[in-house]
Amino acid sequence: MLDPSYLNRIRRRERIAQRVIGLGGAFVVICVLGILFQISWVALPLFLEPDAEIRARVPTSGEVDRVVAFGVGEYIETAYVLTRDGALRYVLLEDGKTIAEERLASPGADDASIVGVVRHGAGRYSLTWSDGSVSRERFAFESTFDDEGVRTIVPATSRELGLAPDEGDAESGAIVESTLLPADESGFTRIDRLAEGGLRLHVRAVSTSIFGDSEATDHRFDLSADLEDDRIEALDLATDGRELVAITDSGDLLRWEWDFSDSDDIREPVLVDRVRAAEPGARLTAVSYVFGDESLVVGDDQGRLSRWLPARSETSGNRRELTRIQTLDPQDGSVVQLSPTQRDKSIVSLGAGGTAILDHTTAERRLLEFDADSRLVHASINARSDALAALDERGTILVWELDVPHPEVSMKTLFGEVWYEGYDEPQFRWESSAATQDSEPKISLVPLLFGTLKGTLYAMLFAVPVAVLGALYTSQFLSPRMRGIVKPLIEIMAAIPSVVIGFLAAHWFAPILQQSMTGLFLSFALFPVIVLGVVAVWDRYGAAGRVLGKRREGFEFLLLAPVIGLAMWLCVKVGDFAEPIIFGSDLQTFLFEGLGVVYDPRNSIVIAFALGFAVVPIIFTIAEDSLSNVPRSLSAGSLALGASRWQTAWRVILPAGAPGIFAATMIGLGRAIGETMIVLMATGNTAIMDWSPFNGMRTISANIATEAPEAPHLGSLYRVLFLSAVILFVMTFILNTIAEIVRHRIRRKYARF
Amino acid sequence: MSEPTHENTEKPRSPAGERWVWLSGSALTLALLITLTLVAVVLGHGLSYFWPKTIEKIVLDDGSARLGQVSNRDVDPISGEPRVQYKIGNEDWYGHAFEWFDRSMIVETSIPRDAVLLERLSHGRFFGFLTEVRGGGTIDLGAVDPWDRLIEAQERVGELQKTVDDYEAEMHALNRRARKVGDQLAKLLYDRVPEDDPRVVRLREKRAALLGEIDAILEKSSAEEARIRQVATTFRDADGREGEIVVADIVRAVRPNAITFTEKCSVYASRFWELLSEEPRESNTAGGLFPALFGTIFMVFLMSIFCVPLGVVAAIYLHEYAKDGPLVRMVRIAVNNLAGVPSIVYGIFGLGFFVYMIGGRIDDLFFAHRLPEPTFGTGGVLWASLTLALLTVPVVIVSTEEGLAAIPGGIREGSLGIGATKFQTLTRILIPMASPGILTGFVLAMARAAGEVAPLMLLGVVKLAPSLPLDGEFPFVHFDRKFMHLGFHIYDVGFQSPDIEAVRPMVYVTTMLLLFVVATMSLTAIVVRNHMRRKYATGSF
Repeated sequence: MLDPSYLNRIRRRERIAQRVIGLGGAFVVICVLGILFQISWVALPLFLEPDAEIRARVPTSGEVDRVVAFGVGEYIETAYVLTRDGALRYVLLEDGKTIAEERLASPGADDASIVGVVRHGAGRYSLTWSDGSVSRERFAFESTFDDEGVRTIVPATSRELGLAPDEGDAESGAIVESTLLPADESGFTRIDRLAEGGLRLHVRAVSTSIFGDSEATDHRFDLSADLEDDRIEALDLATDGRELVAITDSGDLLRWEWDFSDSDDIREPVLVDRVRAAEPGARLTAVSYVFGDESLVVGDDQGRLSRWLPARSETSGNRRELTRIQTLDPQDGSVVQLSPTQRDKSIVSLGAGGTAILDHTTAERRLLEFDADSRLVHASINARSDALAALDERGTILVWELDVPHPEVSMKTLFGEVWYEGYDEPQFRWESSAATQDSEPKISLVPLLFGTLKGTLYAMLFAVPVAVLGALYTSQFLSPRMRGIVKPLIEIMAAIPSVVIGFLAAHWFAPILQQSMTGLFLSFALFPVIVLGVVAVWDRYGAAGRVLGKRREGFEFLLLAPVIGLAMWLCVKVGDFAEPIIFGSDLQTFLFEGLGVVYDPRNSIVIAFALGFAVVPIIFTIAEDSLSNVPRSLSAGSLALGASRWQTAWRVILPAGAPGIFAATMIGLGRAIGETMIVLMATGNTAIMDWSPFNGMRTISANIATEAPEAPHLGSLYRVLFLSAVILFVMTFILNTIAEIVRHRIRRKYARF
Repeated sequence: MSEPTHENTEKPRSPAGERWVWLSGSALTLALLITLTLVAVVLGHGLSYFWPKTIEKIVLDDGSARLGQVSNRDVDPISGEPRVQYKIGNEDWYGHAFEWFDRSMIVETSIPRDAVLLERLSHGRFFGFLTEVRGGGTIDLGAVDPWDRLIEAQERVGELQKTVDDYEAEMHALNRRARKVGDQLAKLLYDRVPEDDPRVVRLREKRAALLGEIDAILEKSSAEEARIRQVATTFRDADGREGEIVVADIVRAVRPNAITFTEKCSVYASRFWELLSEEPRESNTAGGLFPALFGTIFMVFLMSIFCVPLGVVAAIYLHEYAKDGPLVRMVRIAVNNLAGVPSIVYGIFGLGFFVYMIGGRIDDLFFAHRLPEPTFGTGGVLWASLTLALLTVPVVIVSTEEGLAAIPGGIREGSLGIGATKFQTLTRILIPMASPGILTGFVLAMARAAGEVAPLMLLGVVKLAPSLPLDGEFPFVHFDRKFMHLGFHIYDVGFQSPDIEAVRPMVYVTTMLLLFVVATMSLTAIVVRNHMRRKYATGSF
């Protein structure tokens, strides 16, 4: 009798083993799901709705009409309110307490009040005073740290520029509204809207001589003539002070350009664009540049928002003219106010219905709608675009804290054609790192998907015939002794690291291809012809075959090696010789001059061979497996009925093994899609969309490899790269799962034999 | 059936479709030919790199002369003239190391016996004639012949250099201690220990003392080095221009035209040894590959520690424990997917999961005093190994399963029949018998991992790592360190270098080494597996 405790111990051990091993099996499934979950989890926030939370309600003293400007500081702790009489109050949002109060005075008369306000963003305002003077103010908060590291916020008001009234402007109401933009030294650009509907431009250019003397030149222009009796509804001056857009009561959108920065090359203001921007029956109400000052948004009294960009069209020739590139979702009622954010291409619009809306223009994404229980009459976004202050009709300032992590990402920017600034048509583009600060990153995944498909397709064109025919030959005709050598060789081939293949493709094959393109093309085309020709000759002088007799069967591929080698060499030589004769010069020049095709040395042909070569052993191994596993009885029956060995292989074995070949192709496809190093090294990695075999591509995988190490953690690019990884994962998951299901079926089917 | 007679005019015909058999055979031929060509190209370029080629002196039609080794010959694409490319070296003198000459420009070619090839610590190779070697007051040279003097000087300088190396080792050790003290200090300060705390003061003093010591040694070391650098040579190039080269800068001096075949072989061997044992020089374009080789092997072994047990357990589950059903099918689909998911997806998963999530958490918990400088929250050898382990688990599973499948069913039944439990059967019979399969998986997984580069690029592979992930410094194994890798070395040197012409030979050598490592592993695996198959082939009946 065994010791029961011993038995118990064995039983316990058995149970633990069972569990641990079961866990081991489950771990594999967990891994796959875990990878998918993790990468999706990182990509997911791209699609989460932005969030806004009311942080404070600050009541203002006095009626709504008296407030002319207000805004929130950078840390969403403080706000400022400016009233018509020039009283400026800084308040703490937490409790609404006033922390500082001052009184702004006109650069002219002391008792003047504010009649016009233009908001420039980041706490900057152009104020027009009742005495005709104009000033530019900045309301900011400075943080100071004491020895203990405690932060105190100090309001900082600064007048960037103040201009006393010009002669004739002094009487109240002559100037409705001025826009003032300080330039270097004491220079400025100033736009005045006049009471009687006129428009004036005043540029003071200050040039400094090499001796340090500065000289100011005033340039004054009356732009009223360009209006053709229309009245200006709204205008916006570009931040470089060289461009002005305006909308008129007749529904036109006007754009002027000038340049006085170089005193030797002065360009006086010219009306460069006058286009009808209003829909029939609608009146334009608001216009604003989008951050970067290249495109602009126009709003009308029906609440419609459209985005305009100077672009070339077929009719305009080389000239860029304002073109409507987007129509955003409509506002609630007439558009009262438009203000761009200072960080990206988002814009805040305020409707007559009292709702403020944050839209990202390029992404055509409605980020946030700000609904209060009362109607909002004025809205202002802060410099960091993380807080929005709005004044409601009851005179309360509401402050929202915004959480908009990835405003530029939408289905449209990821997968659609987008009309970016600087382009003349909508395009699929991937340019994740923008060249300049205010141009936006372009994140269309379409060119990457296209590149992936293109590379894969070219590779499969080479890999599938070679691998499948090779597998057929190996499984059916190769002598068993040779098979023992060939199969390990193929395994070694499979083990060649892709970085090696990529390096050789780029540094060895690509130059050869470039040099002897005609010859290599010739040999690709003639390859089957040569082989068949050799066989025909062999047949004709069958005596040689007699000598070798049956022994040559199963060794054909060895006999072919010198033939193929020699033929390729000959083709290259003939090609090198024939190239100047056929194409005049070389093929590359001919392609460019004759067909307008640009030849990129690292092109799709290189990829076809390099990537194809990398997947051949994968397809080969699986196809060979499935062809070898076709029951012997099938081929024996076929041969017994008098079919030749090729007829048996082609008509019996191949159809029977077809599902396996299909599975092999799927797995090969999956590998080609995900292969990174070869495409990274052997293509130019430009995200273009062009099927031409003579240029390269940028694939999803290569894109991840180049950009992920540089992408800021949890930034938009980082998440978009994860999203592209999810796409890659899903594509290969589908292919691999199909392949596994097919292979499972085959295993079950042939298990009977 | 009658025998075909010689009178029969009809030619003997092959069976129907025979030519297609040939065509299909040609596909296999093509695949193998390409493979062999690739290997041949790599070996050809890689192996010839070490051979001391003949130095030619050419005189051009404008009267100037060059000294160099032929590196390429072709036909000028524009003029159609045959031309020759020479490696003329002396980059610090000429500004370029390679030059093309039309055949017609070359008036005279000779092979001077006394032409010297120098491999230097910087500025690449030098070709010239030795005119003089000076002891410079540091050493006295006995020999008379300049070449003998050079060899003597090299030997003596080598001995003197050892002192400097000792100083450097000492400084390194002190530096390490200073760093450790600095780390302790940072930790105390992070824990808000006040500045005047005795511990802080003591550490500060200790660190200052260490730094002072380092400075003292540095002074001694530089003085010694300056003394060594007094030993110099004068070289003359083909045009007669003379210049000084310090003996300490010379790694190797060879006169390829004057030495015998056996001597060339020994130069070859010594260069090969340098490749395997030395650190890279001149931003990875010269010198050895030891850190990359070591990094690759270390990472691969670390990886196999994780992936082999996992793969073996999963395979045992699939083959011995699981009953066929939807669950097993799901596991199989998962295995196939794990094998088929692109490696770059593993890379980005590793970046998001291991580096930022787990690494970031570890940093928060244990290395908060070093933040924002990340310790584990950045790529490192541990994260790379773990990620590659996931990638190679399927390889181990498939091989182990094959090993288990090869065991005849009778053996299992026999074991169970005499009363062994399932687990006992597994541990005492099946795993030992399947060990060749497990070994195959182990080796194949290593081969796969050694060749994988794409995921590593996101996980801490670097072009030049300051120190190895394994060294004499406590705790000896540094999982958080970045590492070098042969495959990444190929990509980096071959594609990020400004002068590709100059680095190409080095990349071929790296490629050869990587190919050798991977092919050896694969071949081992294949041999083990075939042996296993043969062993059990009879047992299945």
